[in-house]
Amino acid sequence: MQSVYTVAQVNSYIKNMFTQDYLLQAVSVKGEISNCKYHSSGHIYFTLKDKLSVISCVMFAGNRKGLSFNLQEGMQVVVSGRVDTYERDGKYQLYATHIKKDGFGELYERFLQLKQELEERGLFAAEYKQPIPKYVKTIGVVTAATGAAIRDIISVSKGRNPFVQIVLYPAQVQGIGAAHSVAEGIRALEQFGVDVIIVGRGGGSLEDLWAFNEEEVAQAIFDCKVPTISAVGHETDVTIADYVADRRAETPTAAAQMATFDVATYIHDISLLQDRLSALMEHKVDLAKMSVRNASMLLMNRSPKSMIADRRYATMQAEERLSHAMADSLTRSKNKLALLAGSLNGVSPLEKLSQGYSYTENADGKGISDVTNVAIEDIIKVHVKNGAITAKVKDVVKIERQ
Amino acid sequence: MAADNGKTLEEIMNELEECVAKLESSDISLEDSFREYEAGMKLVKECNDRIDGIEKKVQLLEKDGSVSILDEGTEE
Repeated sequence: MQSVYTVAQVNSYIKNMFTQDYLLQAVSVKGEISNCKYHSSGHIYFTLKDKLSVISCVMFAGNRKGLSFNLQEGMQVVVSGRVDTYERDGKYQLYATHIKKDGFGELYERFLQLKQELEERGLFAAEYKQPIPKYVKTIGVVTAATGAAIRDIISVSKGRNPFVQIVLYPAQVQGIGAAHSVAEGIRALEQFGVDVIIVGRGGGSLEDLWAFNEEEVAQAIFDCKVPTISAVGHETDVTIADYVADRRAETPTAAAQMATFDVATYIHDISLLQDRLSALMEHKVDLAKMSVRNASMLLMNRSPKSMIADRRYATMQAEERLSHAMADSLTRSKNKLALLAGSLNGVSPLEKLSQGYSYTENADGKGISDVTNVAIEDIIKVHVKNGAITAKVKDVVKIERQ
Repeated sequence: MAADNGKTLEEIMNELEECVAKLESSDISLEDSFREYEAGMKLVKECNDRIDGIEKKVQLLEKDGSVSILDEGTEE
């Protein structure tokens, strides 16, 4: 004999089944929003649907803090809450306490929110960026102990500088607890004492890289006094860690290149500088030697020995000029004499004699040109053209010629 | 991190470059030149000494602070 129940009894029974179901009391359901109504009471009524099915949903005004955006038709969401029955109508529905955007959209939303928040707090500010030291001896690496990232970092670093010390903190880089593990690694390496820290991992999905979008990692990087290089995923993946780090490397390989100096270039540079120093010093010494030579030449030019030589030369020159002048003067005199002798010829007494005149002188050889110069019986000498006649004065007669 | 005698390699390199620049200037006296040259050569030696020439093994820093050598052979 089957019992007969009232409607209320059945609905109450069903409600009891729902409330005793562990899964239904805390469930997350993903689907698309439709028939969304914001009621004046503050409750939101909507339907969640997928390709196969629909479920009625309600979010009571008291749970509105579990929703950070406006619900819109067609939106992909994950609704968390409990599934329960509404006894009066004999309907079951999803009582939502939290609604989040689904999948990538939701993660990206969180990324943007945290990025904005950290930016406002100044974690990305250029003034906090520390330069990566040029010559690093010890590199700390926070990444997975196995995987491409650490292998790339080791091989690139060793290739550039085999003398660099790498200290690896093997961190969990994805999954629950990854962010904490990475942050711990940063703090541990800072404590250990390294010159630079590379934080990163190889490529992966947005979810795989998520630890590097967590605030704990961002804060650890920001707080770290050792310069940090982020190297997460591939070129196209930019994480919060990249914004906070002192430098962002596009890949772990690029990070290793940034952190390590090329030892061959370094040794070459040092030897170039050494050569330059020596060449400059040699040049300085050469210059000094040359100025000593110049000075000694100047000194020699001013020595008494050279002054004497100068004077001797001047004397020789003067002597030469003197003898030239003397010779010139003599020649001039000779010429003048010849000239005078020529003109004297015209007035020579001999010339007169040859014309028949004679010249008379007394015994003392004085010329007689006046009758008063002689007396009777004086011996006189008469010069003619070709000889001289000695005579005795017989008579003296004075004659007026004019 | 500060190195051995408080100066980083970068600082030493900068000093060395300053030395060269001073020697390059024409108004430095010969005495100062010798001083700069001597200082420069010491810096060169220091730079070379900083490269210890010892190849390093990768160290593993564990959560508990212990340090071990990473066996790179198994990584390949």
